[in-house]
Amino acid sequence: MFYPGCDDVSITFLEVLSLLAPSETRNSMSSFNFNAAVTTLQELRASGERNPELVVSLGNKIVRGKYTGGLGDEVWPVYEQIIIAALDVGDFQLADVRYNSASSSPRLTCLTALEKRFTRSTRVQRLLGMRYEAEGKLDQAAKIYEEILDVDETNVPAAKRQIAILNTRGETHEAIAALTRYLDTSYNDPESWLELCSLYLSQRMYQQAAFCMEEVLLLQGSNHVWHLKYAEILYTMAEHKLALKEFCRVIELCEDHVRGLYGVQLCTSQLLKTAPTVDLSDLNALATERILAVYSARGAPDELKRVVRRYLESA
Amino acid sequence: MSPKDANWPGRFFCVTGLLLLSHSAYSTYERTTRTDLAYLKAVDRSETGLPLDIIIECLVSVLFFMVGVTLVAGDLKEILMETEMSKQTIDKLDARPSFITFNHRGRKGARALKTLTKRNL
Repeated sequence: MFYPGCDDVSITFLEVLSLLAPSETRNSMSSFNFNAAVTTLQELRASGERNPELVVSLGNKIVRGKYTGGLGDEVWPVYEQIIIAALDVGDFQLADVRYNSASSSPRLTCLTALEKRFTRSTRVQRLLGMRYEAEGKLDQAAKIYEEILDVDETNVPAAKRQIAILNTRGETHEAIAALTRYLDTSYNDPESWLELCSLYLSQRMYQQAAFCMEEVLLLQGSNHVWHLKYAEILYTMAEHKLALKEFCRVIELCEDHVRGLYGVQLCTSQLLKTAPTVDLSDLNALATERILAVYSARGAPDELKRVVRRYLESA
Repeated sequence: MSPKDANWPGRFFCVTGLLLLSHSAYSTYERTTRTDLAYLKAVDRSETGLPLDIIIECLVSVLFFMVGVTLVAGDLKEILMETEMSKQTIDKLDARPSFITFNHRGRKGARALKTLTKRNL
């Protein structure tokens, strides 16, 4: 398959695109499980995971297959979810898809249906702003968010979208400054701290990124993923002692976490070079053993285990 | 909660339990209004207490409720948070959905699919 403009990257992209195919081109129309689709959409909404291809494929089936009646009151958050996913994928047709209802006008679109149901709602305004952002009209989107903030200064989603606009424009330093100002007032928002951390990491400011992760750990200290991120930032800063403590915490919270085990092994190897103690070498050996045990348990071939062992010995 | 299919055995048990309970409650009410408490006091006899069948009916309704509620309730989740957390992926936790930007390479996805289907690829 070769056509102008195609490169290796697009080949795997094509497989992803097949998920976006509307239901008519596939034979699975009869096996469309409405309940399973609704459950999947609910779970995606709850976790906040970014999986626009899946949402668009399910949304296409639900909206174009006219299953919206079966959603009841849940139709509004589902519309919002489908619109955002459609914008993510660039499917403006789906974002503007016709809303079918016996009572309302047939030419109503998803977005205007939301506007009609929730008049003068900042949440719908935010969706409109996101639509302009996806089209590339950043100034119009910025104007909408300013209007929202003029009416309600404390509107969190609008403030966050303003920062996202700065990110889109590539103005990372302004985004960092704006996010810092926002976090001065609302410091118990882990999502914003994580965003600030990733902005700092993109600028290689590891000290500040570590500070952001510490703030996240204050808020959600039982989550092993934040400890892992903090540990890896510390390891990058060559703070091996503290990184080792954090990697141990990761394994404590999530047993046999392979990335954590690797972290422990690498930290102990680094520390053994400067100040060898019995504890460190024991920990080193234990980590190596556990890594190989996990690989064996998951059915890794011997070749792979030999490679891993050689890497761990040389680290 | 996930939309479940009609769990008819559970619902049947709950409904019958409810009927039995309400029936025994009404029978108790009938009994107390029918016994002449003034006459009993005059003849110096104490209340005889509830008849056995009403008590048995009430206890049977409890049994029906126990069975029904166990069947209707959904799957239990693990009590340790670690087992729940170990299933979470970094993609789910570190998604930051309020800050997503749209200027990524996937934004032409839908248009590319249309072009490809038109060229029959």
